[in-house]
Amino acid sequence: MTCDSLRKLIPLYYYGELTPEEEDLLEEHLHECAACERERERLRLLAAALDRRQQEIPPLLLEDCRDGLMAAIAGGITHPAAKPAKGPWKLFLEAMGATLSGFQRYRQPVGALALIAIGFFAARFTGTNPNAATSQPASPAGEVFATVRNVEPDSAGRVRIAFDETRRRVVSGNMEDQNIQKLLLAAAHEENPAVRVESVGLLRSRADSGEVRDALLNAVAHDPNAGVRLKALEGLKPLTGDAEVRNALAKVLLVDDNPAVRMQVVDLLVARRDDSVVGVLQNLVQKENNSGVRLKCEKALKDMNASIGTF
Amino acid sequence: MAQGAAGAAGARLSPQVDALIRAAQRGDQDAFEQLVRAYDQSVLRLAMNLLRSPEDARDVYQEAFLRVYRNLHAFRFDCSFHTWLYRIVTNICLDQLRKRKVRKEEPAVVETSDGPIDRMESFEEDAAEADPERSMWNRQLKQRIEGALEDLTPRERMVFELRHYQGLRLRNIGEMLGTSEEAAKNCLFRATQKMRSVLGDFV
Repeated sequence: MTCDSLRKLIPLYYYGELTPEEEDLLEEHLHECAACERERERLRLLAAALDRRQQEIPPLLLEDCRDGLMAAIAGGITHPAAKPAKGPWKLFLEAMGATLSGFQRYRQPVGALALIAIGFFAARFTGTNPNAATSQPASPAGEVFATVRNVEPDSAGRVRIAFDETRRRVVSGNMEDQNIQKLLLAAAHEENPAVRVESVGLLRSRADSGEVRDALLNAVAHDPNAGVRLKALEGLKPLTGDAEVRNALAKVLLVDDNPAVRMQVVDLLVARRDDSVVGVLQNLVQKENNSGVRLKCEKALKDMNASIGTF
Repeated sequence: MAQGAAGAAGARLSPQVDALIRAAQRGDQDAFEQLVRAYDQSVLRLAMNLLRSPEDARDVYQEAFLRVYRNLHAFRFDCSFHTWLYRIVTNICLDQLRKRKVRKEEPAVVETSDGPIDRMESFEEDAAEADPERSMWNRQLKQRIEGALEDLTPRERMVFELRHYQGLRLRNIGEMLGTSEEAAKNCLFRATQKMRSVLGDFV
């Protein structure tokens, strides 16, 4: 191995993240190469300088945080395990929820939150405290958040209240269930990457559906999280014969910044013999920085009896 | 390299922590408080180091543990509590870092008529520096380090923080950030390369 490729291992060596084989290889090299040894020493000095930057927690901040947290909990958040008695407001919301649930069993956007907008304006309520128009930040999972938009007494002594309701719901079903699939498709766009990984991971077995295929392609091309992109690529494996999928993958190959993703895309593209992929791989070899991906491309081109460069 | 004591200990789910979680899930307030105290120093240190603002660190602390409080009933022991907690904390911190990147505000080092001042210096022990030249060099180095860290993407910054300052393994970091060990490795490599190029002539 060259100095260049071995130097790349130095940071991981410093953090003890190399395999024993890589470690042996590097140590042997450091013993012989003064330039690389100097590089290692520079990294050690850099790390020492960075160590000095570490923040000490300002005195009293920790206590202040603990007090603030406990006050927030005591002051408005009841524990999920200790269910409070239902007040009239909550009963009312539950009644509304039950009435509406028949119309809309599964709601989007998901992440398990549903919103029914009924009216406009006014104060904000939480499900546990009907009397206080507060902006309390939180309420336990499963509770109802409501924002009252309009309150209107009528001449008969009754009152008409318009509110938005946000409610966490739990649904379960198997993967054949269309509604479950719809929820997963929506969850593939959730902000939380862990939710996206899980959803795309489940959807990948359903790539035969057009909608799921599009969602997987969208995740491969646009998801900021490489873990999600890799999961989506796995789902596209059975579809490598699809021209549209191949086109999309060829584009991803040239723009994705993650070498693991690029490696997997190369694998998918070369799994099926196709002359159009030769140009894509030749193009990639020219600009690829990662030696692993480059080697894979070169090998694939060789296997296809194609030249490595376009020259 | 700095090691996060609570981080290392928390990676294994000890029987005591397990018992605290179960008690807190049943609604035991004292158990929840003890659980918080077992992990909150490392959470606060992470937030302080990343955001370099006690106000922001306090917000992260509060938001993170409130989310833990609200969602603890859903913790199913299928990963360590430390990993679960850090998924929450790193998400909140990444959001903050991304917002800062967009707003480009609240830099850790601010320019004043007396030269650049680290906002956090007022919280540090002001060690009497006998050698003014050394003091100037240190100040410049600090400023460069801040600049180098600012140049990292939020994700590179987070991986570096968790590996260098909190002493977590890359496999564990990948698990926390919803990505692979390999991706975390690449992030760490990019982060050290960037810092190495910015700080090259200082070290």
